[in-house]
Amino acid sequence: MPGADKETDLSERTEAFLAELKRGGSGTGPLRGSGETARETAALLRRITAQARWTSAGDLMEIIRKEGRRMTAAQPSETTVGNMVRRVLKIIREEYARSGGSSEETDQQESLHKLLTSGGLNEENFRQHFPPLKANVIEAINELLIELEGTTDNIAMQALEHIHSNEVIMTIGRSRTVEAFLKDAARKRKFHVIVAECAPFCQGHEMATSLSKAGIETTVITDAAIFAVMSRVNKVIIGTQTVLANGGLRAVNGTHTLALAAKHHSTPLIVCAPMFKLSPQFPNEEDTFHKFVSPQEVLPFTEGEILSKVNVHCPVFDYVPPELITLFISNIGGNAPSYIYRLMSELYHPEDHEL
Amino acid sequence: MNEDELVEYFRAQMRQDPDVASAVAAIRTLLEFLKRDKGETIQGLRENLTQAIDRLTGVDSSVAVSSGGELFLRFISLTSLEHDDLSRCKKVMVERGELFLKKISLSRNKVAKLCHTFIKDGAKILTHSSSRVVLRVLEKAAAEKKRFTVYVTESQPDSAGKKMAEALKNLNVPVTVVLDAAVGYVMEKVDLVIVGAEGVVESGGVINKIGTYQMAVCSKAHNKPFYVVAESFKFVRLYPLNQQDVPDRFKYKADTLKTAENLNEEHPMIDYTPPSLITLLFTDLGVLTPSAVSDELIKLYL
Repeated sequence: MPGADKETDLSERTEAFLAELKRGGSGTGPLRGSGETARETAALLRRITAQARWTSAGDLMEIIRKEGRRMTAAQPSETTVGNMVRRVLKIIREEYARSGGSSEETDQQESLHKLLTSGGLNEENFRQHFPPLKANVIEAINELLIELEGTTDNIAMQALEHIHSNEVIMTIGRSRTVEAFLKDAARKRKFHVIVAECAPFCQGHEMATSLSKAGIETTVITDAAIFAVMSRVNKVIIGTQTVLANGGLRAVNGTHTLALAAKHHSTPLIVCAPMFKLSPQFPNEEDTFHKFVSPQEVLPFTEGEILSKVNVHCPVFDYVPPELITLFISNIGGNAPSYIYRLMSELYHPEDHEL
Repeated sequence: MNEDELVEYFRAQMRQDPDVASAVAAIRTLLEFLKRDKGETIQGLRENLTQAIDRLTGVDSSVAVSSGGELFLRFISLTSLEHDDLSRCKKVMVERGELFLKKISLSRNKVAKLCHTFIKDGAKILTHSSSRVVLRVLEKAAAEKKRFTVYVTESQPDSAGKKMAEALKNLNVPVTVVLDAAVGYVMEKVDLVIVGAEGVVESGGVINKIGTYQMAVCSKAHNKPFYVVAESFKFVRLYPLNQQDVPDRFKYKADTLKTAENLNEEHPMIDYTPPSLITLLFTDLGVLTPSAVSDELIKLYL
């Protein structure tokens, strides 16, 4: 029966996605960029909207929320999955409001103004059925996908405003966004890049190779040399895994050191991060904030004797507080860390912060 | 409702429910005043209300009462813009007023729900003087089976800290009372600082019991997070740039203002903590960074 086929097909795809998420996190499978994850999540959510059975917006939101919870549970450190789910939930709310005939964007956020003027305890329960809702939501998700595809280019387009000739730029590890950013600036400007290798995974080496192929003068340094070299650096440009709700970062380990060294020398720290990395979490959840992988990279298993005598940790992420960051460059332009709260209120609805 | 009845009603509200915030009691009193008002025009109503608010601030000069009063006036203006006819306007106002009161009575719980996740197991918390909101947050954290210890400052001149310590002992939370002067000494031991607020100003700074500014400076020096918990009706339209800018009428108790000969010789009861020292504000509108506060106020007043 076609109906049953569609459903099993959908659940198969969801399961496959979840399995990939779980595998991708253990460090063994091919590492996917977060852009890819975001696109795949949005595509999967579009498929769910198209194929799952639902009558009102409330049902759809429940289904998506449930799938979202499963996906975030599969890989808690991959926050882009949760962010995409929240974006889609906001899209559904907006389309519902628009179908319901309310003009423009009624301010759905809590505010003092709303407290004073609201007539009743308006519990929007999204129960009304609108036939064109499905098509509208799918179209909006398509727009979201187009936006996602263009993020790296939008960020790279802003490179010429920030990088000037004969500058020394420092970066750490490997970020596809920063790579595109620097390559775009290299078309018109000549500058020098210093890459911190970011042990133990040493992704900095790949970054340096890629940049030098594009004709940029690159130097690789060890993480320990960051402070020593910082006095010669004009700007620090880094990528990040997540941007937190207070304007802080969850970035690859070693970034906090880099940020502190930059602050000490009053060097501007610029973070290139697309909007889908913005997450409504705060850095207080100790259980899900950090991810540890096999300490094989730090102390290989061949070092037999020492292993029984020492504890070895290999954390993947670092927290960088918002005071150390100068500017966020995203696909919608440059913003100060203190403005993050505003961007968040535009992207997500406060009730969706907790899936 | 004449002035004495007004004051008596206010005092009765505070007596009946010692747990209620003074701003809420003020708004309740003003709502009662509104119900009994015999004015014929909205303009007359506003004038009477302004006088009533002045009278109330004469009884309790705290920032909270003043912000509650201003919020109520704003509420009247917004509602009166929608309806021209006075009697219908009054009916709508009374309805909305009751609804507003109901919503803000839930605000402390909302704040507690947001804040308790920031208290980790084994945390050592420092707080200042006695705040009912902080108490609610700590209650919620204790109910979530988190283990933590609390240091409370004594907070002279009224030793309010001891009241807080009593309440915490009843919750079986290990608590230590420290001298106000010992804040610097104890700061290296604590993990985070949580304080309440009497008023949250436009810049995102807070006005709170004297000694809060000191605590904030110390926590900045030691790199400890400084959290403020406050309900949204405490947002007030002030923009002090330093301690001197805070109006005298908030700094001293109402009786002191009336009887003192030289205010310079009196001890102020509150101080101003600038937003650069505050990490996050927990309100019923969500977790806000200090820069987000002015956004909220603009949405309301403009």
